[in-house]
Amino acid sequence: MHLRFSPGEEAFRAEARAWLEANLPRAPRPTELAARAAYDQAWQRRMYDSGWAGIAWPRAHGGRGATLMEQLVWCEEYARAGAPDISTLFVGLNHAGPTLVACGTEEQKAAHLAPILRGEVIWCQGFSEPNAGSDLASLQTRAVVEGDVLVVSGQKVWTSFAHVAQFQELLVRTDPEAPRHRGITWVICPMDAPGIEIRPITTLTGESDFCEVFYDHVKIPLRNVVGRLNDGWRVAMATLSFERGTAFLAEQVRLSRRVDELVALAQTTPGPRGRRRAIDDDEIARRLARARAEVDALRAMTYRSVSLAARTGVPGAEASMIRLFFSELLQRIDLLAMDMQGAPAVDAPASRWTELYLAGLSQTIGGGTKDIQRNIIGERVLGLPR
Amino acid sequence: MDLTLGPEETAVRDAIRGVLAERLPLARVRAVASAEPGIDEALWREAGGLGWFGLGLPEDAGGAGYGAAEEMLLFVELGRGLTPGQWLGTVLGAHALAGTPALAPLLAGELRVALIDDPSDALGDGARLAGVARGVADAGAAGGFLVLGGGAARYLPATTHGLAVEGRPSIDPTRRLGDVRFSGIAASPLASDTATLRTLATLLAAAEAVGVAERALEDSVEYAKVRQQFGRPIGSFQAVKHRCADMAVRAEVARSLTTFAAVALAEGEETAPRHVAAAKVLATDAALANAADNVQNHGGMGFTWEADAHLYLKRAWLLEHALGTRTAHLDALAVPWRAA
Repeated sequence: MHLRFSPGEEAFRAEARAWLEANLPRAPRPTELAARAAYDQAWQRRMYDSGWAGIAWPRAHGGRGATLMEQLVWCEEYARAGAPDISTLFVGLNHAGPTLVACGTEEQKAAHLAPILRGEVIWCQGFSEPNAGSDLASLQTRAVVEGDVLVVSGQKVWTSFAHVAQFQELLVRTDPEAPRHRGITWVICPMDAPGIEIRPITTLTGESDFCEVFYDHVKIPLRNVVGRLNDGWRVAMATLSFERGTAFLAEQVRLSRRVDELVALAQTTPGPRGRRRAIDDDEIARRLARARAEVDALRAMTYRSVSLAARTGVPGAEASMIRLFFSELLQRIDLLAMDMQGAPAVDAPASRWTELYLAGLSQTIGGGTKDIQRNIIGERVLGLPR
Repeated sequence: MDLTLGPEETAVRDAIRGVLAERLPLARVRAVASAEPGIDEALWREAGGLGWFGLGLPEDAGGAGYGAAEEMLLFVELGRGLTPGQWLGTVLGAHALAGTPALAPLLAGELRVALIDDPSDALGDGARLAGVARGVADAGAAGGFLVLGGGAARYLPATTHGLAVEGRPSIDPTRRLGDVRFSGIAASPLASDTATLRTLATLLAAAEAVGVAERALEDSVEYAKVRQQFGRPIGSFQAVKHRCADMAVRAEVARSLTTFAAVALAEGEETAPRHVAAAKVLATDAALANAADNVQNHGGMGFTWEADAHLYLKRAWLLEHALGTRTAHLDALAVPWRAA
């Protein structure tokens, strides 16, 4: 065991750090959605032009083809530099793109991969439905083959950025008679197809980043099917395991920075009863120290997981433990920030800390609830019966 | 960077695990602990022959030439087996007594050294030791004592005039405690740096807690797979499954951070003491919570003396009070923030 990165990895780190310092966007990321999407796209294009787009993507498809260790280094440097979390491009870069690389036809790859990498298109995800959340395989949005098109009718929900997206990775039921995992198809849905209606949903933060999407006899060419007809579950699982692998590395480093900021806040704001600094309060100091210890543990877990994946070539089941620990740790840290703010925590408009706390509630819901994560750990890591 | 065990590290771990499983399974641990002197003297000599006490010493000093990472692996295994004995004091003694006549018998498994942790120099910081060190692990069967003060480490053979050991009942049936009385004994400081020794000792106590947390998890999972209620294994119920999942996360957190801290220490990283303190906090959390959950998962059986579940819990509490409680470590981690 060792903690040193190789000379090649250190050179890669120095190069990434220098480039990020010189090229980081100076303006803050806008809050208005369309402006935010444009900001993300401009920054992605800048990374693309300098060879930093698609760090994990194979070279043959325009990516950097970085090793797992280099991906880790890039994520550390990216978050350390305070580079923006380009959430509007997340699905394209981390879900749809890698899925097409793994399962797409040559025609699909040629049409979609380069625009995703260049930040020219926004993708959204069409997996969840009103009656298919944690139980995703029960999805009912129906698709019927008619000639060379799929005709889709039904409804999706919790679709982030549907109203600014050009494409959607869509799961539909193509064989209602088959066992439920075997009748699903993964298809590329153009969001401007006739028959699609998008209604934004206002979340508890007051934002409307995600939407309901309705499909009324929407015609999608059969050539947009990724993988085979009725083989969409396997295709989707490849995507989800990717999400549980390396996609959250940068978020973890950001969380570590958040603890640093909270320590600084504790050094300058009054404590719970106003007489001393917050950091001089024993309970707050210990909660901060525990948060620091846990963030260090998160990095250690990630290092162990990446080392293991680098050795075996596949992300291990421990990724589900990292995901669960990360999301609950984030919420503990957000809660500490709420407690430290005192009464201003309930002022409107909300402070940044209150915004983070509210937004953080989604961390144990999206991408598999914490309850589903515990099932996965119990069944796939520990081998407990279903 | 690589935090997975390499082939040699795996071999070291497997060898230790194999010896402990064969020579001292838990049923035998109970028998050993309930008879005099409370430790397995034959195993101790065998461990000396296998080089366990000098794992972290250079080869020219009679050691195996490994470092803190391999010593950590040893203590995880000792924790898993609830192995009785003065392992911590003896392994630490190998570092502190380098260059003294006590080293050779210690490495050979003929001298067991108990550790007295005295960070605030309650026994004195000068050339004389006076007072009582309470709750010293396995003091009764020790051949010598390593007194780790705030600024100096000192070694005293158990036969030193003016030193008296009195047994003290322990909550943990597999680890005895004792009070050691010093009546103004002259003791010269050893050359070793106490901060370095204390960091290593804290790491090894954390590693022992990792072992306890892992075994409690494994026992629970094994039981949840076979124990039937309502016509199905209890591990199929989410209430039990999710508790086991939380135990697994705690064990993984503890194992990862303790491994990271050990490797950082072995590589001389400046931040190593901070990581060791954090590891001690989270490994103790994991040991205590997993051991208590393991009692719960075993239901009525878990509440009996006969079942092993309480042994892990009691060892976890002893570890909480060895080398700094969680509160003490958290306060120490916050000191630089308060000074700013």
